[in-house]
Amino acid sequence: MKRVKQRATATLVIALALVLGLGLYVARYMAHGADWAMFAANAALYDNARLTVGTLIDRNGTVLAGFDDDGNRRFAESESVRRATLHVTGDKLGNIGTGALKAFDARLAGYNAVTGAYSRVGRGATVALTIDAELSAVALKALDGRRGAVLVMNYETGELLCAVSSPTFDPENPPTITDGDTRYDGAYLNRGLSSTFTPGSVFKLITSAAAIENIPDIRTRTFTCTGSQTVGGERITCPEKHGELTFKDALAVSCNVAFAELSLELGADTLARYADRAGLLERLSLDGILSAAGRFDEAEADSAELAWSGIGQANDLASPLAMLRYVSAIANGGEAAEPHLLLKTGLSSVLPREKTRLLNEKTASELAELMANNVTAHYGADNFAGLELHAKTGTAEVGVGKPPHAWFVGFIRNEGHPLAFAVIVENGGSGRLAAGGVANSVLKAAIDN
Amino acid sequence: MSEISDVLNALNLASYITLVIRYLLPLLAVIIVARCAMSLLRGEYEGEEWGALVLPAGVRVTLAHWENVVGRAKSCDVSLQYPTLSRTHAALIRDARGDWRVYDLKSRGGVSVNGKYAERDGMELKSGDKINFGGVDAVFIASEREDESRIAETRTKPGKLISPTLTLILVTQFQVLLAVALSLAASEFAVAAPLALASVSVAMWFCYALTRAMRRTAFEVETVAFFLSSIGMAVAASSRPDMLDRQLMFLAMGVGLYFAVGWFLRDLNRAKKLRWGVALAGLGLLAVNIVFGGVLFGAKNWLEIGGVSFQPSEFVKIAFAFAGAATLDRLFARRNLIMFVGYAGACLIALALMSDFGTALVFFVAYLVIAFLRSGDFATVLLSVAGAGFAGFLAIQVKTHVASRFASWGHAWEYANTSGGYQQTRTMAAAATGGLFGVGAGNGWLKHIFAADTDMAFGMMCEELGLIVALSAVAAIIVLAVFAARSATIGRSAFYVIGACATIAMLMTQTALNALGSMDILPFTGVTFPFVSRGGSSLVACWGMLAFVKACDTRQNASFTVGLPKRGKRRESEEVDE
Repeated sequence: MKRVKQRATATLVIALALVLGLGLYVARYMAHGADWAMFAANAALYDNARLTVGTLIDRNGTVLAGFDDDGNRRFAESESVRRATLHVTGDKLGNIGTGALKAFDARLAGYNAVTGAYSRVGRGATVALTIDAELSAVALKALDGRRGAVLVMNYETGELLCAVSSPTFDPENPPTITDGDTRYDGAYLNRGLSSTFTPGSVFKLITSAAAIENIPDIRTRTFTCTGSQTVGGERITCPEKHGELTFKDALAVSCNVAFAELSLELGADTLARYADRAGLLERLSLDGILSAAGRFDEAEADSAELAWSGIGQANDLASPLAMLRYVSAIANGGEAAEPHLLLKTGLSSVLPREKTRLLNEKTASELAELMANNVTAHYGADNFAGLELHAKTGTAEVGVGKPPHAWFVGFIRNEGHPLAFAVIVENGGSGRLAAGGVANSVLKAAIDN
Repeated sequence: MSEISDVLNALNLASYITLVIRYLLPLLAVIIVARCAMSLLRGEYEGEEWGALVLPAGVRVTLAHWENVVGRAKSCDVSLQYPTLSRTHAALIRDARGDWRVYDLKSRGGVSVNGKYAERDGMELKSGDKINFGGVDAVFIASEREDESRIAETRTKPGKLISPTLTLILVTQFQVLLAVALSLAASEFAVAAPLALASVSVAMWFCYALTRAMRRTAFEVETVAFFLSSIGMAVAASSRPDMLDRQLMFLAMGVGLYFAVGWFLRDLNRAKKLRWGVALAGLGLLAVNIVFGGVLFGAKNWLEIGGVSFQPSEFVKIAFAFAGAATLDRLFARRNLIMFVGYAGACLIALALMSDFGTALVFFVAYLVIAFLRSGDFATVLLSVAGAGFAGFLAIQVKTHVASRFASWGHAWEYANTSGGYQQTRTMAAAATGGLFGVGAGNGWLKHIFAADTDMAFGMMCEELGLIVALSAVAAIIVLAVFAARSATIGRSAFYVIGACATIAMLMTQTALNALGSMDILPFTGVTFPFVSRGGSSLVACWGMLAFVKACDTRQNASFTVGLPKRGKRRESEEVDE
């Protein structure tokens, strides 16, 4: 019996294996439970791969996506808000991949490892976004049916107040979009994040940063613009003859000849380094929603390509979000508050925000002064009355026979309104007139609120 | 009832009640399992004294078991350092009637009693007989009936430390809460589920009263089984409320089988005599299955008799435990061992022919446990060779029949929408949805996936009742295992110890394959969770197997499968009664 009773203990080896196996299971559950629960076949949360739980509200508590009495998915009450916040919220069918309904599904389900995705009435959790629904509606109205994007962000906190993309549609009555229907060209894209555009002259803010830090006599140097300049056998042209100008004047009037000279002098690798440091070339994370990466090709020395690349043409590409983050950094002493879409509440709202230094402080303050000068000297402060505006226009050529993309990026220093913005109107023509007008309406509405 | 739930829903009260019950169920589950564990595992396991050997120097060695080995080896119960003794020399064995025999275990020096050499099938011993073990003299003394009663009275009876009644009250509360949660979950459960759980409760209290009437004070093993059966009833109510009456019938049959097997095991002589009959009946059942069985969901393991389909392989588990168990004298007989190896092989081949890989694995683990418990010195080699042979055989099976299951093993998410990973990924999604406290009994969706209430019962528990309850269910099985291993120290006969270890090994393997298989940690083989999975054969067989665990409980007045010593003079050649 002694041997038998000693060996009976061996049965416990199986028990031990069982305990270890369950330990592994619990560890995996803790690590991957959220992914498991957010499986599109989870009938507690999805119906035909569409999330059926969770309420999205804006920063003021306006419901962006909620439920009717029968538990069916309903979007904002006002149609203009529905259209303006479509790309941030997402649609019923999940066609807009970057929408919060998809990107923040685990939060909307209220998932945590303790209570799983259980909610008492089975409607999940409420998630608040940093978006201002009313401001978004103003922005969409200002775009007036033109394709483009409007981004507004608090540069001190990184809270994104407005991310409107056009064309859009009403998520309560989604249109059937057929291939080649120009009315809904790229309607499922949030242009502010997921699209990149030729930056045109707004890229001069990057070339300027490089010039300030690498060309010692930049502040005293004068440039002569005769309306065009031949570089590498190709003509770099300006819309008009600017004559003799300083660096400050050159940025204000956006002189291509002057910036062509600076680009050749700085060289491709320096420009590429500054484009990279500015964050233009990486995929930025908006609380996990990734933006599209921009592009800067290093051209040969003394080539027309190099000259154009420093002016924001050639193969240059940038997403509106990256431009917004860059001008936010200029406004914020060189440090960019990382853009956020999830509103921080309670304790987390008082914790320090995540910041990334894109520029040194001195360069940032010089650029800010130059951008203020742009407005007062050239764009006309009266056109932006009541705004302490710092800005740069861009009129990006996008091919023969097509109107250029209109850009307007910058920030305001108004008391209590530390707002940065990036506006693009596709094929909108003049940056100052088309995009500047949109920015003006949106910023005024933001201040009046 | 449905009107009540309508009113409650209107007041939004139902959701709050469910909310609270979700937290109470895990709390109760943990307390219930902890109480059973403490009652089974705490406290001394006081040994018994059935006789003694008085050695030449006047030293008295107690015989603490019904089966005792005398020899030079350290592993012998009576270990004597005389060079003339063989390593395992002789076995002194008492039967259920109290008659002793001595067996010569092929010793060099032989065994004689009062000068007469022992024969092949042993020699009768009387108290006061002189035994000679290869030149070493000893006097054998059997405990008198009076001594046995006296010792019995000084031993602690279970149930003193932890009141079984209070534990049962907690289980009843658990059942009531399950019933309330289910009746609030959907109108189709509103009446059926409370009725079913009430029936489980009544059955439980009836069994308790019955064991009390038999002057038995331990009820932990049954409590564990009724606790798990209650969870099983909730799982069945959620997935098939229309089949609850059948599930209850199966439970009643299971409890009946439990008492029947327990009664059968109670008389060791009877159990020994009939064990090959039972074993052969089991094999016969498998043979019938192979010939007449229907193929259902890939495995040909179902038999339909009179409109009721059942799985013979579930019942063969009981037969397997019978075949594997043996008293100590037989353990040393080569013929006995070879027969068992052959029997195990036949069972595995039959299961392979039925493509029932999961059950084959359960049998194989039981085989390993039995082999390890039995292996004497000479047998180790033979057994390990046979074991390796079976393992290889199973591996071939894996290649031909279960390859698709293995291909997706560990990669369920890559096969999420093909048969390889469909069930596992949904089980994990549902389990994560449940969190630690579940979404409430009857509120899950996993039940709509094929075989959720059987092969993925662990996942259904996780989803509806939460991870804590699901882990408590596994813990309950482990508690039984630790108990079985511990009671071996005061086990009377190797027969009971081997039987208990083999059955608990099978129950644990089933638990592991069900819980870890559906969660993609082990291959998904479609094995039931003991007592919890819906379905007749598995539930009935689990209760039958449980009798083996109960039979090794030799704490005083603990088990109805163990006779109580009778006061007064021993009745010769008559069965010992309570």
